[in-house]
Amino acid sequence: MKLLSKLTLFITLSKLAIVLLFVLILPSLVERIASQYTNFYLREQQKKVMDVIAKNGIGYYLQDQESYGSYTMLKEEYISLEPVSVKNRLDTIETAMRLVEQDTLTYRLLSNTFKIGKQNYLLEIGKTTSAINQYNRPLQRIALYVLISLILVTMLIDLLYTRILIKPLGQIIKTKLLNPQFPFIHHSKKVKTTTKDFNYLDNSLILLMDQINVAFEKEREFTANASHELMTPISILQNKMEMLMADADENETLQQKLIEMMKTLGRLKKIVNSLLLISRIENDQFVKSDTLHPKELVEEVMEEISHRLEEKSISFRMNISKSVTLINLNRDLVFQLFYNLINNAIKYNKEQGSITIKEKFKQGSLYCILIEDTGIGIPSEELNTIFNRFKKANLSESGGFGLGLSIAKSIANYHGISLKVESKVNEGTTFSIVFPKEMLADK
Amino acid sequence: MKVLIVEDEKTLAYDIEAFLSKLFYICDLAHTAKAGLEKVEGNLYDFILLDLGLPDKDGLSLLTDARKHNPDAAYIILTARGNVEDRVKGLDLGADDYLAKPFSLLELQSRMQAIARRKFAVNTHLVPLGDFEVDLQKRLVLHNNIEIDLTRKEFDLLSYLLLHNRRVLTRMQLSEHIWGSFADDDYDSNYIDVHIKNIRKKMSAFAAIDWLETVRGVGYKIKKQE
Repeated sequence: MKLLSKLTLFITLSKLAIVLLFVLILPSLVERIASQYTNFYLREQQKKVMDVIAKNGIGYYLQDQESYGSYTMLKEEYISLEPVSVKNRLDTIETAMRLVEQDTLTYRLLSNTFKIGKQNYLLEIGKTTSAINQYNRPLQRIALYVLISLILVTMLIDLLYTRILIKPLGQIIKTKLLNPQFPFIHHSKKVKTTTKDFNYLDNSLILLMDQINVAFEKEREFTANASHELMTPISILQNKMEMLMADADENETLQQKLIEMMKTLGRLKKIVNSLLLISRIENDQFVKSDTLHPKELVEEVMEEISHRLEEKSISFRMNISKSVTLINLNRDLVFQLFYNLINNAIKYNKEQGSITIKEKFKQGSLYCILIEDTGIGIPSEELNTIFNRFKKANLSESGGFGLGLSIAKSIANYHGISLKVESKVNEGTTFSIVFPKEMLADK
Repeated sequence: MKVLIVEDEKTLAYDIEAFLSKLFYICDLAHTAKAGLEKVEGNLYDFILLDLGLPDKDGLSLLTDARKHNPDAAYIILTARGNVEDRVKGLDLGADDYLAKPFSLLELQSRMQAIARRKFAVNTHLVPLGDFEVDLQKRLVLHNNIEIDLTRKEFDLLSYLLLHNRRVLTRMQLSEHIWGSFADDDYDSNYIDVHIKNIRKKMSAFAAIDWLETVRGVGYKIKKQE
């Protein structure tokens, strides 16, 4: 899951949990606040009553009656005063039932005894619980609405902000990790961000890419230089051997030995030449501005190579339309690409085998040429490494795949051509050469 | 013919000199661009073999300078660079041919012969080959003025053998001459033999071709022409 999705999910779920928790505790919370406030209110009332009694005297209220009581019409509140015996000392707030004019109501009740002169009095101040709780419900509702809208607002802000906050990360991933094609020729720009961590990540990636580029550059340079430096000594050796060969005209054993030496030197020469070619391709030393017809190209390749078909009596079929034109490529290189693949198809074919070259349009618009052979095939575990230069398996005793496929791969990469291979051991191999869309000229 | 060899790798220069001297070329050596320029200023050459990677100066600029003094010479560039651009540049600057190192001296000879035919109009006469005649200029093989139909590669093969007659050429040397950088490195394969077989089949229909000799285990040669 992406970081942004995770954060979004987290923010949403956590806010939801908060709302849920609040809904659960809200009723008891409101009730509690209401009852505490009532207690406070009753105490305030008590103070006021005591004040007026102190001012007016207890007699003003009792006026020879047994007791004093005052309540409003709806009996939501009442205050009563009555003399009690000295022994009862009370100062409580509790919920209790009281009978007021035939109605039994539940009150929150403050009971307090106090002394004036020698007489002990009991003061009761009550408020009906229904009056106390009448605001609870709307209060709860309003609180809930306010909370939900606040949460929605904060959630929106959170989501927007995280989006902005981790946007540089997305850019880093896009520009540094997903898009770049190795080698990183186009120096990638720094992503603008004030977040230190992203800056660090971005800088590290740029540094890493630069280092890879430097290492890659060094490898290319080394290959190019080494190949150049090797050419002159090989040249000298070859000349000396050829001269020896001419001198050793009559001596057959010496000639045989010389031929073995020349073969070895020939292999060395081939390898160095191949490496040089690969390094030149990788150094962008070829111009991609040629136009060609694949049918003609394959025919030319076959003209060069068809003599080799005879060795194994291989039959050859080609089905490529004349009308296809490919543009913006290097003819010599593409020739070599086809040459190497067809050469392999012959080299690793069986007696009486066959080679078929045909075209196909992949996914509607991608032009693709398939080279199928009925050869020995490539074991699946080797399929991934056949394009690697100097992979051990490629240098095995049967000559291996040599550098021919590495060259083919380099040429393909250089042109943006994708080279795919499917193979079954003992049944054959199919190489598909898929040309990029823009290489196919409009008819 | 006079040849100037400008090559800083002394061993290679001496080898080329020894090889060409045997073919009756008169050779001068220069190991630096400076020495090369001195030579071209004072002498006229038929061939100038020029290495591009000289220690003191780029071979291409030497080519430009040398052509002022020796405009009629045939220039062959020898280089380990094998760079396409250099090649195009060299040919643009007036070089007649281009050989990438490592090259075979036999190939050098073949190229020099071809240039000589083209440039100095020598060897235009027909070369006898047994009961046949070979027209190197028009690339034809004739028997009593009847043309024998050989493919391009078959003719290349035959003329290369003819040029180096009396010398055994290995399959590897032959395939490198004909296919150049495309020559495969499985030299034991018999595709050269296939071509030779075809040449023999086509030509023996007209006359005996005992001059084309197979040297077992080595290669082929054309015997000395009487």
